[in-house]
Parts: sequence; C-alpha cells; structure tokens
Amino acid sequence: MTQNNEYAVETFSLTKVFSDLWGRTKVYAVNDLNLRVHHNEVFGLLGPNGSGKTTTIKVLLGLLHPTKGKTLVLGGDATDPKISARIGFLPEESYLYKYLTARETLDFYGRLFSLPRQVRKARIEALLEMVGLKAVANRQVGTFSKGMARRIGLAQALINDPDLLILDEPTTGLDPIGTRQIKDLILELAKRGKTVLLCSHLLADVEDICDRISILYGGRIQAEGQVRQLLQQTNKTQITSQTLSSRTIENIRKLIEAEHADFEVTSPMEKLETFFIRTVTEAQAGAVPTSGAVSTTMIGDFLAAEAAQKSILDKLVTADVSDKPGPAVETQKPAEVETSAVEPDKGLLDKLASEPELSQPVKTTEPAETKQADTRKVRDDVLEQLTGSQDKTEKQDQSDTDRGEQPDA
Amino acid sequence: MRSIWAVARNTIRQALRMKIAAAFIVLLIILIPVMGLGITGDGTIKGKLQSFVTYSLALVSLLLSLLTIIVAAYSLADDIKQRRIYMVLTKPISRFELLAGKLLGVILLDLMLLVPLSAIIYGITIYIPVHNNATAQQMQTLDNEFFTARASIKPPEPDVTAEVRQLYEKLKAEKQLPEGVSYVDIINNLTQLKKLEKQAAGPGSEIRWQFDNIRITDPNQSLFIRYKYDVSVNPLDLNIQSGWMVGDLRQLPIIPEGRGSIYIFERRDLIRTFHELEVPANAVASDGHLEVAFLNLPTNNTVVIFPPGEGLELLYKAEGYTANFVKAVMMIFLRLVFLACIGIFAASFLSFPVAILLCLAVLCIATISGFILESFGYLSREIGTIYRFTVGLIIQMIPRFDQYNPSTYLVPARLISWPFLAKLVGLMICLQSFVIFLLSLLVFKFKEIARITV
Repeated sequence: MTQNNEYAVETFSLTKVFSDLWGRTKVYAVNDLNLRVHHNEVFGLLGPNGSGKTTTIKVLLGLLHPTKGKTLVLGGDATDPKISARIGFLPEESYLYKYLTARETLDFYGRLFSLPRQVRKARIEALLEMVGLKAVANRQVGTFSKGMARRIGLAQALINDPDLLILDEPTTGLDPIGTRQIKDLILELAKRGKTVLLCSHLLADVEDICDRISILYGGRIQAEGQVRQLLQQTNKTQITSQTLSSRTIENIRKLIEAEHADFEVTSPMEKLETFFIRTVTEAQAGAVPTSGAVSTTMIGDFLAAEAAQKSILDKLVTADVSDKPGPAVETQKPAEVETSAVEPDKGLLDKLASEPELSQPVKTTEPAETKQADTRKVRDDVLEQLTGSQDKTEKQDQSDTDRGEQPDA
Repeated sequence: MRSIWAVARNTIRQALRMKIAAAFIVLLIILIPVMGLGITGDGTIKGKLQSFVTYSLALVSLLLSLLTIIVAAYSLADDIKQRRIYMVLTKPISRFELLAGKLLGVILLDLMLLVPLSAIIYGITIYIPVHNNATAQQMQTLDNEFFTARASIKPPEPDVTAEVRQLYEKLKAEKQLPEGVSYVDIINNLTQLKKLEKQAAGPGSEIRWQFDNIRITDPNQSLFIRYKYDVSVNPLDLNIQSGWMVGDLRQLPIIPEGRGSIYIFERRDLIRTFHELEVPANAVASDGHLEVAFLNLPTNNTVVIFPPGEGLELLYKAEGYTANFVKAVMMIFLRLVFLACIGIFAASFLSFPVAILLCLAVLCIATISGFILESFGYLSREIGTIYRFTVGLIIQMIPRFDQYNPSTYLVPARLISWPFLAKLVGLMICLQSFVIFLLSLLVFKFKEIARITV
C-alpha cells in the first residue's frame, strides 16, 4: 500500500463528449471535472440520472477514453495491471457469466488477479459467507435474483482485498438488510484503511456513510464538501432524551422561552429501515425458510490484517462511531489535514479502532454531534436485534433465512 | 499467463454449458458411424474407404469450422454486448491477455472435439474391411493403395525456352506473328503449346519420362504409376489401348545383368480417369534411376495427352497410414486455428451477427480461393490487374483451404510430408493467423469498451 500520491483518485479538467457518427458533438457527459478523492475516505459522487457519475467512473477505469483531460487512480493509470490489482469495482449492474455458479464466478475473478490457489479458496468461502450466498454457492448465477447477483458482484469486487473500492450504485436491487450490510461494510472497510468511491443517487445511503460528497449536474460539480458540514443547520439545536415528565418539559419550555426561541415536543419516529430490519430478524429467529440470500453480519477475515472474530456490527458498538476517520472541516487545503490524520498502516488502524479514546479528536461542531449520537442510537437498536439472534442463527445454520430480495412483498 | 488460462477455461465452459458445442457433437457422433456403415462408394472396399474418409473428414472439418467461428465470435462479442467485459478488463488483465485467453479457449475446445472425432473416423476406416469380409488378396491391395502413405514424384517439367525462342524467330521471319498481341503473351502461349506437345503422343508414337533419386526402402514394395489421359478425338468406346515399358531403359537395346528389371504392360484404360500401374520396386536401378515409356498404339487413331501437372506421377510407399492420418487431422486443426483468429478478429469490432457473416464470407472465400484466383485469368488485363491487387491480396492473407484439403491426400494414399506440414504451419499459423490476431489486438487495444453504439 504505497501512498506517495496525495490523492487516491484525481481528475484534471476531465471532459467526455459523446459525439455522433460524423463527429458532431451530441452531449457533454462530463465537463471540465476536477475530482479529488483522498486516501482512506468514503467519497460520494451524487447526482440525478444522466449527470455523468457513471461516465466519470468508466473513464477512471479506462473503459472510456477521455475527450480532454487526465485521470490518476492510485497514482497511475487504472489499466496498468499493477494499479488495477489494487482496485475493486462494482459496476452499476452485476454483469455476470450466467452459466457459472456463484463459487465458479468468484474463482474466475480470483484467477484474473492471479491469486494463489490457497488464498483464492479461503477468500471465496469467506466472501460467500459474508454476502450470505453460501447455501446457493453451487447454483448458476443466471438463476439468481437481482439482489443476489448484486451480492455476488460485491463479493467479486472484494476478492483482491482492494485498497480502492469503486462502487457504482452498490445498493440497487438490494433489500434493506442488504443495503444496511453494504453500508456497514463500507464503513468497516474505511476504518481498515481503504478508500471508497461511491456513486449513487440514493441520498439516505450516502448521508449515512460518506465523509465527503460531490454533487454532479450536467457533468460539472455543483457542490462539494463534507457531509456533516453541508447538512448542518447551525441555527437549530436538537435534544434527545428518555421520556420526560410534563413538569420537566414545562421547566425546559420556560428556559427556552427565556431565549425567545420556538420549540416543539414530539416522540421521535423510528426509521422504517430500523423497523424493517427488526421484523425480518424476528422472522429469522423463528426459522422461516427462504430460498433467497441469507443475511449475515460477517466480514471476510482477509479484508484486513486483524482476524474479524466479532461481527462487523459488534465492532461498531465497541468503536465509537465518531471514530471513523472524520476529515477536518473543509478548508482551503483539506488534503493536508486529511493525510496527516490518516495513517495508512492497517495495524495501526485496527489499533485505533479498538482504542477509540486515543483516536483523533472529533472536529465537529455541536449540532453535528447530536446527529451522530442519533445515528448511533439507531445502530444500537439494530445491533440488539441482530447480535441477539446471531447465536441462534448460527446454530440453525441455513434453515433460517429471509426472502431478502423482495422487500416490498 | 494465469489470467490467460482463466479466460480460456471460462470460454470452454461457456461453449460446453451453453450447449453450443453439444448440438455439433451429437450431430457428428450420430452421422459418422451411420456414414461408415452405409456408404457404398463405387462398390469396392477401397471405394467405400475413400468415400467414407472424404465425407467424414469434410463433415468434421465443416462442422468444427462453423463451431469455431460461432464460439470465437460469440465469446467476445457477447461479453462486450452484455457488458460482462467491464468486470473483466478492470481486473489486472491486459487486453492482449483477454484475446489470447479467448483464442486459447477456442483452440483447446477444438482439440477436445477434433481428437476423439478423428479417432472414431480412424477406427471406422480400420473396421470397414473387416465388416466387409475382405479377402487376404483384397487386404493386400488395400495395404498397398489405401492403408499407406505414398510419396509422389512428378516428372521434371521439360525446358522448352530454346525451342520457343526458335519458333518465335521462325514465325517472325515468316511474318506470321498475330497483330496486337504483346511479346510476353506470344511467348507464354508458345511455351504452353510446346509443353503440351511434350506430353502428347500421336497414334503410334511414344513419350518417355525420366525419374532420378528414387529411394527405395523396402525392395519388396511396389511402385505405382498414376496417370490420366486426355484425347484429341474421343475413341468410340472411350478407351485407350497402350503399351508401357517401365525400368532402367538406359540399358536398351542390350540388357546387361544386374541393372534392374524392365517391365512391359499392355493396358486398356478409360479416358479422363485416374489409373494406377503397379510396378515391382526392382525396376528402379541401383542409382535411383527409372524411366517410363508410354506407347500410343496406332489402333487408337487419336492423340493422347497427359494433362500438364497431373497427367502422370510416380508413387511409392514412404510412411504408414496412421502417421499420415494424424497429419491429415493436423491440417484440419491448422484450419480451425486460423478460423478462431478470424472469429476473434471479427468480434473485436463487429456485433455478433455481423461478425458471423464476415467469418462465413472468409470461410467461403478460403474454400474456393483457387477458383477465384483462376477466374482473374479470364478477365481483361486492366480489370484483372485491379482484382489481383485488391481481392487477390485479401486472398493472400487467407489460407487456401481447397488446396490444403486432407482428403486429397488420404484418398490416393498420398504422403503428407513433414516439410509440407511445416510449411503449412509457417504459412497458416506463423504468418496468416498471426497477422489476423495482431490486427484484432490493434483494433481491440484502442477500442472504447464502454462506448455504446446503437
């Protein structure tokens, strides 16, 4: 993992024009784009359909040639085998060889990375376990549902233990639990020193996991910055607590009215995602049979030096959420703050993860802190559900699964 | 290297699991034995064998050619169309490795099918005489004329330049040269005329051919003179009566001892058909010299012509049938390798249906390339030149399948020599296939993979 370059991904006035047969310009898919993704951050590329996200990624990976400008991926050209060996890529859809089984598919991609036999075998099993397709590993992927194909797509992107993960709409077609898993996985990978470039128009997903985002429209960057900073409402304050007596509320009202501010009291709504996950987890515990993918909370051991004994969600409990590499407040030169804060060494990263108190101070302002706490509360909720049933599910093995691909059934 | 192998394996799997290959295999497995048992040829066992070898090899060759084209073109074109290639080319694999892997996969698939199928054909040819209860004498004939590999010697082309020059000067002196025809054309015509004259015998006259450096390995074996007549006027019963003298005719008219025997034959043969004259090997002198004399009996009352190039040749056993059969199969294999390259090349810039069309066009041109090249001769000089430098050049890049047809060797039990096979490998693989592969690499290297063209 050499990081003699300042950025994991960098584009220099990248322009991609699609022209017709006669060379006449038809559309500027990407227009003078200067994108900078720091090492070890989760970067979100947002934008409506047709805003140039996928085109940008294809140019980065050498699948399209830029009309103008230049790109650097991990300090070089992504078509160079030395560079591409360190990249994991999941395209906007999983384009799979339908006649291969899930295991053979991963084996094929493993071979393309020239992974030694032992390593390949071990990783394939770990990844199948992780994406919950172990039970259907010998089924041809042509028979898979869209979500299951997506899971295989994700597994193949991770088979080389990449330093840079490029995900194009990773959560399309996935059920909420799968979505959740991918989001948790991305956070975990970021914690282990990987860089993630994420492309999406599902704002909720991006909001949960990205450190920094760029919003594209018409092939140009319209806004860029840290998620927390972009979303903060510095003119509001939010307090969350257990249910209070009406007397306490009355006291608070008096205090606030003294500051001449408006305020309202409600019981917080549970997120639908949290509710859904809890319902399915209960069904899992009740051993309802399914032919679909199984939800697991595993992560492939090989993805980091540290053996992942505990589930990823367990880790999130022990590691403070704010511990995830939070880059500094957007300044003129954010990169310097970033790179000095983030040390690429995996061992050290894991150490940081287990000793959250020693990690870098959270450089955020007050309201963002509240939001963080809120997020964490939701996570704890999920954790209780999932980790609580974890022991049971392991015993019952494959029988208790969920019909994950059809969430809106 | 590993990634080439991974792609090759995947390509074979694709062909097998998507049952593209299955249809062809089933067809061949059923057709070949049925053909072997049902074929009649001209009624003789040798005729059966010859027809069976011709048709079964042609069938295997044709079906595997089609399979090769389809698998090679489909494998690449469909990867691009279905965009699976996005997830492959973003891995540490160069575009060269991807193409090489696809090519290797198709070639290995061909080998996997060609080897067992040709083994079946070989087995059936061995079994046909047994099945037809061949007598010991018939077996003897078959061993001499089918289950063998005979080297061929053609008489050296007579040098006629001096005679042509003489004739030209004479015609010029007599002012009988045709008007408006160039010098080169006149000389060419006269040369052809003189050469034909050397191969023609009027009633009562004879032709002699001399062969040198014949190496006989087994003194008990036989030589075969293979010949075909053409005539100026058809005899009533279409037969020519002839006298032949074969041996070391230098010793005539006195026959000293120990110079080899002279054999005399009287024949009556149908015109425009190949015939063979069996001559014991001791007709060849110890220095490898042999002469063949043909006498056109006066009763025929017509001029007998041995067509230049194929009129007469000397055949003698040089190798076994098995080795020759293996080499014939290798000729088919070379053809398949070339077609695999063409398939990959077409798919590197065309969609699947168009690529298939291009490949089939190439296959057709390669199969009738001799005919096409010959037809240029009938065009006017200017048009002919244009074609020679356009279509002719393209044909130069394509192997001439009609010329390198394995049946033309196995049917007359003609030896496929190693130098000849090496020449074919050099031409078809090292040159033509390599150029085509290089072209496809060039096209594919700069191809914008994710570019969607509608």
